Amino acid sequence: MNHLDFKTAFEQLTPSLLEALGLVVTLALLSFVLALTIGMLVALGRLSKVRSLQVVLIAFLEIVRGTPLLVQLLYVYYVLPEIISYIVGIWVPGYHMNISAFTASIIGLGVNYGCYLSEVFRSSIQAIDKGQLEAAKALGYTSRKAMWHIVIPQSIRIALPPLGNYFNAMLKDTSLCAFITLGEIILKTQAYASQTFLTIESYTIAALIYLIVSIPLGQAIRIMERRLRRHV
Amino acid sequence: MSKIMVTIQDLHKRFGENEILKGIDLSISQGEKVAIIGPSGSGKSTFLRCINYLEQPTSGTVMIEDKKFAEPNQKANEKHVASLRQEVGMVFQSFNLYPHKTALENVMAALITIRKIPKGQAIKIAETFLQKVGLANRKDHYPSQLSGGQQQRVAIARALAMEPKVMLFDEATSALDPQLVGEVLQVIRELANEGMTMVLVTHEMKFAREVADRIIFMDGGVIVEEGEPDTFFTNPKHPRTKEFLQQVGN
Repeated sequence: MNHLDFKTAFEQLTPSLLEALGLVVTLALLSFVLALTIGMLVALGRLSKVRSLQVVLIAFLEIVRGTPLLVQLLYVYYVLPEIISYIVGIWVPGYHMNISAFTASIIGLGVNYGCYLSEVFRSSIQAIDKGQLEAAKALGYTSRKAMWHIVIPQSIRIALPPLGNYFNAMLKDTSLCAFITLGEIILKTQAYASQTFLTIESYTIAALIYLIVSIPLGQAIRIMERRLRRHV
Repeated sequence: MSKIMVTIQDLHKRFGENEILKGIDLSISQGEKVAIIGPSGSGKSTFLRCINYLEQPTSGTVMIEDKKFAEPNQKANEKHVASLRQEVGMVFQSFNLYPHKTALENVMAALITIRKIPKGQAIKIAETFLQKVGLANRKDHYPSQLSGGQQQRVAIARALAMEPKVMLFDEATSALDPQLVGEVLQVIRELANEGMTMVLVTHEMKFAREVADRIIFMDGGVIVEEGEPDTFFTNPKHPRTKEFLQQVGN
């Protein structure tokens, strides 16, 4: 084994990795907003009394949770545009859909995490005592108003720490987007390592960049958890 | 002859095979205080919860003044039920204060969300009602920072702030430590003296006798006996009433 050259690797690789980190954080934030939206809608749908909606949502959840995130990303990036192009092509000859790696990543991560977040939302809503809903109803709230004004604000407090942990996990799962050509941390590291053969140095630096972000984030979530427990 | 505030006609409630209420008729005049007593499982809490449609009756009608919650045997309209419920305040055994809101916020929430009162005014109203239950100095406390008795008084203030025409008390003191029962009963007593129309489900026989104008004894989903408190407690007529009063040591 050659002697390690962290100095060179650090100088050459770090600037581009920090740039990639910016992309990763943006991607994670946008995907998480999508995941939160999907998660809340799916949770409310599953808590509704509409039987057919529940069946559809459960099927959707089983499919998403039963397949790897990587497969879903590949599917959104390579397969979905083909299918849509084929269908739209029936009416619009020669139509071809293009999707950027970034958009595909947002959709893939957002849908996948949305399914897991829906369980967080659902269980946190169910954790709120039924008396809260009744008290609000007795004061003249409709079920919907009681849900949005009284029950969900309380359930969010319960949900916040697990939501934070999922965000932290998502930040690291963005690395899978390297497989669909997104120029994020791993793709850049791979490129650099294969050019310079500084394999140990490159991947170590990449790992450290993830750690630098995720360890403080984990700490922040623990602090938030303690503060939120005060008035529950 | 005073105005009729609550009218209940041929009320039935069934949970699956189990018929909890087997036909109840009752009318309550303005300012009247009615105490409902009876053994557990007699349907008294279910009955009380039907008065504001927290339980939807299987059949029968409930009217607040001249407004029905729903036409008999028809499905209730949720918006109509919600708006009529504003006329009926309810206090629960387990308080059901919102734990994430302060005492003041608990009282003003419905004023803002439901009554659409501007925030500044809602705060003033909420403060007035907290004052009324003797908790003006606790307005910024969260429920977790209040004793059970204080929490229940905030819950009473929260219901009163909506200026209901009728108040329902569902075993309002049953979850309290014995030394905290008195302060809650005192608030209810004052409310009674001010002429509020009230229906109380209670285990406090002494209090029922003191505050109520009429005692209703329920057993097996029906009203077995009712009467003016002194006669009811000293000279019950129905054997089941006698047996019950003996058991509770009256």
